[in-house]
Amino acid sequence: MKQFKKRHLLAATTFAMIGMAGVAQAQNARVQVTGEIIDTFCSVSEIMFSAGSAHYQCAVWCAVGGIPVSIKAKDGQIYMILRIDEDESNVANPKLVKIQAHEVSVDGELIKRDGVNYLLVTKVANDKGLVSLTHDEHGIVPFGN
Amino acid sequence: MTRTHSKTCTQSILALATPFLLAAVLPLHAAESVGAKYEKITEIEGTVVDLLCEVAKKCLPNCGEGKRQLAIKMSDGKLLVAAKNPELFAGAVADLAPLCGKVIKADGILFENPKMPIYMVQGIKTDPKAAEYTPLEGFTKAWTARNKAAAGASDEWFRNDPVVKAQIDATGPLGRPDLKPKAP
Repeated sequence: MKQFKKRHLLAATTFAMIGMAGVAQAQNARVQVTGEIIDTFCSVSEIMFSAGSAHYQCAVWCAVGGIPVSIKAKDGQIYMILRIDEDESNVANPKLVKIQAHEVSVDGELIKRDGVNYLLVTKVANDKGLVSLTHDEHGIVPFGN
Repeated sequence: MTRTHSKTCTQSILALATPFLLAAVLPLHAAESVGAKYEKITEIEGTVVDLLCEVAKKCLPNCGEGKRQLAIKMSDGKLLVAAKNPELFAGAVADLAPLCGKVIKADGILFENPKMPIYMVQGIKTDPKAAEYTPLEGFTKAWTARNKAAAGASDEWFRNDPVVKAQIDATGPLGRPDLKPKAP
């Protein structure tokens, strides 16, 4: 009987460990994300129109001002970038300033926590440059032309 | 004293006293609305932490000393990204980095976008018993100290910043040299 209990305990512990590993794997996944590099504040708050050429200048101001930079994927999901290549500084990082409003594909590690998708970019696989031309319709946002 | 006069007196006293009565029963917020869709004026209390350290265990001393995005970690372990301070186009890192590892009270705006919640910190108390929040203005102070030559041309840091100028000079205000803004 004692042996039987020990076996059950061992089996239960093993299943619990597999379950925990599954969760950890699901929350830290290797991904490729394609989308536009965006200023997180304007996009998340929706305080103004915030995509493409119309919002490019504001996105540069916000990136240099130290607001987090994200990628908005084609499906609308937003991924906050906490690392770019091997560079772990993520405040006003010049690499991120230079690709504001660009359409990029990046490889990286996705970490989900408390409703936020965090992305540790290992490689910018493709940079198409700025392709979303929104200024004809919206002008320069904010402050106009 | 007539009944009408007495009624007027009572009304005046009530009008004067109402703000004080409300102040006594309602929480006082220093935070101001920005008129955004998902905003909710919210006070929070928690520890200032380095986001990359918290989510990926890649830690630096003193939360990266201004080079790392920061969050406020609440007592239940939940992280809230401190994405913005109240200054134009500025984040909250300059204000919060010196408080790395410290418990603060913050007043600001929680943007509850289902795709990503973020927090704009407008005021902080490092002493929970302090009567008022200290407004955040660390970005402009730090920027002015770093850019003495550029500061002063206007009070809009983003129009005088050398990094911004170099980038916009290279790309134009629409992000590509071949794109030109329409004449106003």
